[in-house]
Amino acid sequence: MSVKGKGNNGNTLIQRSRRTTFMLFSLPGVLLYSVFFIYPVGLGIYYSLTDWNGITRDWNVVGFQNYITLFSNTRYQKAMSFTLRYAVLLVLFTLVLSVVLALLLDKPLKGMTFYRGMFFLPAVLCGITISLVFSQIFMRVLPLLGSALNLDFLKKSLLGRKETAQYGILFVNLWQGVAMPTVLMLAGMQTVPNELYESAKLDGADGWHCFWKITMPFLLPTVTIVAILTLKGGLGVFDYIKGLTDGGPNNSTISLSLLIWQDAFNRQKFSTAVAEAIIMSLILIAFSVVQITFSNRKKVY
Amino acid sequence: MGAKRLGKTFTYLLLSFGCMLIVLPLYITLVTAMKTPAESLRSFLTLPSGLMLDNFDTVISHSGYWRSFGNSLLITVIVLCGNVLIMPPLSYAVTRSMGYSRVFRVLYYYLLIGIFIPFQVKMIPLVKMMSSFGLNHPVGLAILCIGSNTCESTFLYVGYMQSLPSEIEEAAYIDGASPARTFYETVMPLITPILATSLIKEALWIWNDFMLPLLILNKNEYFTLTLFAYNFKSTDNTDFGPLFACYMLQMAPMLIFYLFAQKHIIGGLTAGAVKG
Repeated sequence: MSVKGKGNNGNTLIQRSRRTTFMLFSLPGVLLYSVFFIYPVGLGIYYSLTDWNGITRDWNVVGFQNYITLFSNTRYQKAMSFTLRYAVLLVLFTLVLSVVLALLLDKPLKGMTFYRGMFFLPAVLCGITISLVFSQIFMRVLPLLGSALNLDFLKKSLLGRKETAQYGILFVNLWQGVAMPTVLMLAGMQTVPNELYESAKLDGADGWHCFWKITMPFLLPTVTIVAILTLKGGLGVFDYIKGLTDGGPNNSTISLSLLIWQDAFNRQKFSTAVAEAIIMSLILIAFSVVQITFSNRKKVY
Repeated sequence: MGAKRLGKTFTYLLLSFGCMLIVLPLYITLVTAMKTPAESLRSFLTLPSGLMLDNFDTVISHSGYWRSFGNSLLITVIVLCGNVLIMPPLSYAVTRSMGYSRVFRVLYYYLLIGIFIPFQVKMIPLVKMMSSFGLNHPVGLAILCIGSNTCESTFLYVGYMQSLPSEIEEAAYIDGASPARTFYETVMPLITPILATSLIKEALWIWNDFMLPLLILNKNEYFTLTLFAYNFKSTDNTDFGPLFACYMLQMAPMLIFYLFAQKHIIGGLTAGAVKG
């Protein structure tokens, strides 16, 4: 942080007019932020301590009752375990795919600018529209392809079966979600000094060795941050599920976000939903703290 | 040499396969939008027999299409204008006062708290809050979005402004310019790169956002284009051509935008991703 110590007595005319201007400059932003960001957060914490169903005129403050009942709520536990499993799978696939793609795109070959442009394209599209497109493809195109090629597992929609539905969602999520990590990995690879590769080559190291001993150590900060960002995305997954399965088939793909949504707006369990959201947020906040610590450490490099 | 060429071919093969995976769904969307369902059912992959725009016509002549398009555009424009008008002055005040003023130092940390708070905490209370304010319409949503994005924008701007030398501003002060004038005439022009980054990021977010409109905008007449696409149903289930046309129309503006501003978009979306 830059420290400006010049003329800090604050008594001259210029200083005073500067102070007033700066106050006026800050006012609208701070007001909007307080009313539309901080206030609803406080409101949420308050609602989570009540028994409000979202409709009635009055409610009672019940303390931590909503949180305590979550421990014995099987719907909640099911959603939690689905979400955790989904998030872990998403992180693993994202890391492997983005590192492999970045390694390929990092090669000094012709046409790489074109390929980079193509691989980033999904990131600018709308998640829900992509999901709707894929739900149509899963429903209409793939079964047709399955019959034509006589592949049994494609004949029925992947999203219509309990065992495969989550992989369908995962695929669409990766289709769009790998773009940004790939670019971040590519940027991370630029930080590796070329001399290291050259001297390794002189020593007779092969590509596999170079990757684990040279590229990976330099890439580790990026890998950590991509992992945490993806984990946060995976834990909060909503759009893809809403567009592809809406929790089905047979409630097998209900993520935490979708559960919160359903509890609040379909099942009239408003205060429970807020408590669920707050627990989920605490998990996300923990990861954010880890992330910020890591990105600050990265600066030291 | 042979191994090297093999590696090169292998690289291109893998990359082309990846590209195919990305392009195929978009290709299917586009060609299915230009075919009759009967034609599509014969094969989804073939090119359409002619330039049939009936399906697009069905979507565009739907009473909600242009209204939703207008709502999306209105929200995006208000949010971007709000950002330009409100966030740089705030960030400037924070950047230049943080060093000696406790008030502004506290303010900076107050703004930073937002980075740690996930959307889910306020997702549900927002619905009640917005309807009690009477703000569950596009303009209300836009105001909400400006407020929600405060910490992210300030974070970007403050980071950038800290790297600007303050000598030019000092010179302007000595010449007798007021603080406001100094800001608008000497600082604003210097921050255009980061302004562009922030606006691109925000525009993509607003245009593609689904959850906030779904939460706040409950009336058909307030729908954004994403909500329109989500709620769009063909009159009968076997006529899926218009559906694909509708999805194509939602994605088209962003595809065109990407075609022309690819470099800025990649830079904009990845800037701050590492931190935010």
